[in-house]
Amino acid sequence: MPNIDRREFLKLVGAGGVSVGAGFMLRESTKHPREYLIPHVVAPEDISSGLSTWYNSVCSMCPAGCGISVRTREGRAKKIEGNLSHPVSQGRLCALGQAGLQALYNPDRLTAPMRRNGEGTFEEITWEQGLKQVGDRLDLLRAAGRGNRVALLTTGVRGHLAQLFESFMRQLGSPRLLHYDYDHPHTLYAANQQFFGEDRLPYYDLQNTRLLLSFGADYLSNWISPVHHSLGFGESRQGPADVRGRFVQIEPRMSISGAAADEWIPARPGTEGILALGLAHHIIAEGNYSGADRDAWMAALADYTADAVAEQTGVPATTITRLADSFVDTAPSLAIGGGSAGNHSNGVDTLVAVNALNYLVGNIGQEGGLVFNPEPAGPALQQHQASYSTMLELAEAAHHGEIDVLIINGTNPVFTLPPTAEFESALAQIPLVVSLSSFLDETTALADVILPSHTYLESWGDDFPEPGVGFSVGAVSQPVVSPLYNTRGTGDIILDLARRMGSSSVMPWQSMEEFLKYGWQRIYQRGDSQTLAQGFDAFWTSVLKAGAWGETKSGNTAFSLNPDVIAGIGVAPPEFSGSEDDYPFILHPYLSPNFHDGRGANLPWMQELPDPMTSIMYGSWVEMNPLTAQQMELSEGDLVDIQSPHGQLRVPVFIYPAIMPNVIAIPIGQGHGEYGRYAKDRGVNPIQILSPQLEPVTGSLASSATRVNVSATGKRVKLVKTGGTSRDLGRNIIQTTGGSGVEVSSVSSNSIPITEVTS
Amino acid sequence: MNVSIVPALKVLRPAAMLVIVVLVGLVLGYWANATFVPGDSPEQPIAFSHKIHAGDNEIPCLYCHTQARRSPSAGVPAVSKCVGCHLEVATEKPQIRLLMGYWENREPIPWIKVHDVPDFVHFTHKRHVLANIECQTCHGPVETMDRIRVTSRAVDGSAQAGQPWKMGLCLSCHRENEVENGTDCWTCHK
Repeated sequence: MPNIDRREFLKLVGAGGVSVGAGFMLRESTKHPREYLIPHVVAPEDISSGLSTWYNSVCSMCPAGCGISVRTREGRAKKIEGNLSHPVSQGRLCALGQAGLQALYNPDRLTAPMRRNGEGTFEEITWEQGLKQVGDRLDLLRAAGRGNRVALLTTGVRGHLAQLFESFMRQLGSPRLLHYDYDHPHTLYAANQQFFGEDRLPYYDLQNTRLLLSFGADYLSNWISPVHHSLGFGESRQGPADVRGRFVQIEPRMSISGAAADEWIPARPGTEGILALGLAHHIIAEGNYSGADRDAWMAALADYTADAVAEQTGVPATTITRLADSFVDTAPSLAIGGGSAGNHSNGVDTLVAVNALNYLVGNIGQEGGLVFNPEPAGPALQQHQASYSTMLELAEAAHHGEIDVLIINGTNPVFTLPPTAEFESALAQIPLVVSLSSFLDETTALADVILPSHTYLESWGDDFPEPGVGFSVGAVSQPVVSPLYNTRGTGDIILDLARRMGSSSVMPWQSMEEFLKYGWQRIYQRGDSQTLAQGFDAFWTSVLKAGAWGETKSGNTAFSLNPDVIAGIGVAPPEFSGSEDDYPFILHPYLSPNFHDGRGANLPWMQELPDPMTSIMYGSWVEMNPLTAQQMELSEGDLVDIQSPHGQLRVPVFIYPAIMPNVIAIPIGQGHGEYGRYAKDRGVNPIQILSPQLEPVTGSLASSATRVNVSATGKRVKLVKTGGTSRDLGRNIIQTTGGSGVEVSSVSSNSIPITEVTS
Repeated sequence: MNVSIVPALKVLRPAAMLVIVVLVGLVLGYWANATFVPGDSPEQPIAFSHKIHAGDNEIPCLYCHTQARRSPSAGVPAVSKCVGCHLEVATEKPQIRLLMGYWENREPIPWIKVHDVPDFVHFTHKRHVLANIECQTCHGPVETMDRIRVTSRAVDGSAQAGQPWKMGLCLSCHRENEVENGTDCWTCHK
């Protein structure tokens, strides 16, 4: 026996022990990794393991109100598609709608009620604590007759949730119920009110039109109902060149709709309405309008001759007359206006001018033109959203100490209002700010109490799309999964607060679901005898199953123009904030197709989705004409400081041939300071440097009316993008064919060639 | 000069000892794992016996695995299904008490998966059940197993215990029975 000392022995024991363990693990590592089969405790009826269950519901990622079908397995949502039987989406859905799953499963969701403690940080509380704190305060204010010191600020909601908000605020005796979305088309509503006397949006029948003139409306990516417009666009583009619809886009920076159009015409920013009136003048002057009010029109439009308009807009007179002629000759035709064209100091007048164009060629109430929608079948509601000035009034009231409680639902004004509104400091003046948001966005981060709502995939609601599709449409938004976290439906929170302030006699419903059923009873009563014979429960089940309800009742078809309108027609030149000498560029902030007004920035799919026009992802950029960039000796990735009279941003340059040389464009959506790990500290928010220039009729923000200057910093970054070069480089990738008899427009100082600029 | 290797051996001996101990340890650990922690028949949270249920009492497979005839996955019965019988049957046995513990706490039983195919295989029970293929054809004589064990069907048609399913085994059966599109890649890999 060899002599082993104690030290040697311990060494061997240690090594032996380790090697036994290693051998054990070696065998273990060759095995199939252990997986579990977790059964239900009690099997739910609607779940079969391994099989998909589809639910129809309503998308809430933007205000369009598309119907969705959600595939679930084992009680989890797996995929969102468009609902085939919903007239708005017809089986299609945009990228943002598809990414709704990442709102549901987002790791940065607020998972429980929270309260700001003495140290200024949030601590988790129970629902009872949170609701009691808010409910007691509301009850106290109401009892003291000071309910008007409560304000409710919500993202634009329709249907019965909006009605619930209204009754809730009526119980408090407060008129301060504000719906606010950055991109709400205030000027379009006002223009329709002025011209048609209808405070609703009409249905734009893109599907059947043969010529579409779009004045600034990026209808394929953001404007009002992009999925529905895309369907119409696709339908209209079928057929050979002389049959299919033609699309003309008039805007200073080529949007997705501009890229899809047959012709892109840059008019000087804010002169789109003048251009529309130039077309109108030519139509009348050529004798192509024979209405009884022809002379009144001629008098009103006397100043808008093609040459005068060409001078103001920078669009050649020949283009103006050609467009006007083809607008008359092609039937049906349609002119739409919105987006940046409506966001100038003359926004309402511009959109009235676009309506006038439709009137003069008889597109109103016509298939392929503009069709009025009937009254929505849902609750009759005040349509107006809060404009920028209304938000200023709210902020001012808060600064004067007139607001005691502010309840915020789903909207993020700290991000979507320029700092000149001083909304952030207004929030600090309000003793109790309650947020019902599902995420810790910039506004929620400043709240005192957070009562987190379900996402739309977990909650009850309904929607009556605005604009409709020419007939009444409604849909119920039903939960497709059971709530993932300790959150509650917005409607349920409001009903609970109503009970706590003693309003249960007026608002007796225990849940949003109950209230919805109560509200839909009235829609059920509109049904035919066959529907009524089935009973309400069968009706309700069929509405949930189909994911859509509609009735073929069309809106007002007879339209006669109020003659007073004609004399008032005219578009003043746009006003800009900042002098041209100090601020030579016009800032064109546009809604990102990925993030909408910034709400999509916390969805990783949207972050990694390349922007369709530039192929850039994950960040911000400023688009600049090659000519401008050459003059300033800038190239792609160069960091520049963009300075407006009200702020400054630092952002990399992207050379974009399809933008006017004196315009620069920055997408909206990035630049969050909060809103979760995917959104935070990425890119810039151009809203932060907008000047508070107003559209005087609506009081909305003229967001395209800010002048800026650009200065190089000498620093540069590499833009994250999928595209290589935008040049053909002799590869013959882009092949062109002869046009369909379209006259080639002559090059003006504002036309920008897409090929290389060498000057 | 007289050279001896003894001093060298003396120096090397501790190292040799170490190598021997480590090797023996490795083999011992490997053997212990293979013998006492069988991967193809893991110990389940409840010692459920298919032999008692499907064998002695002849309960049909589809009585509990109800999904098999309409879903890709056969499904594990909900705890309520077990309790449905065991509120009355064999209530005093320790394993049933264990079951009732889960039931009273409203907790699912974390069964360990035994039969599995890789994620890139689109296997569906529905097709096979509707083609009247006996469960035992693929899963072996389950009605004789106290504890469920990985089993597959050998090329000669016999059950081979401890062997997981491989593509060749699927194909041999598909060929034998002349399954329509049975050897098309896309039938299973899609």
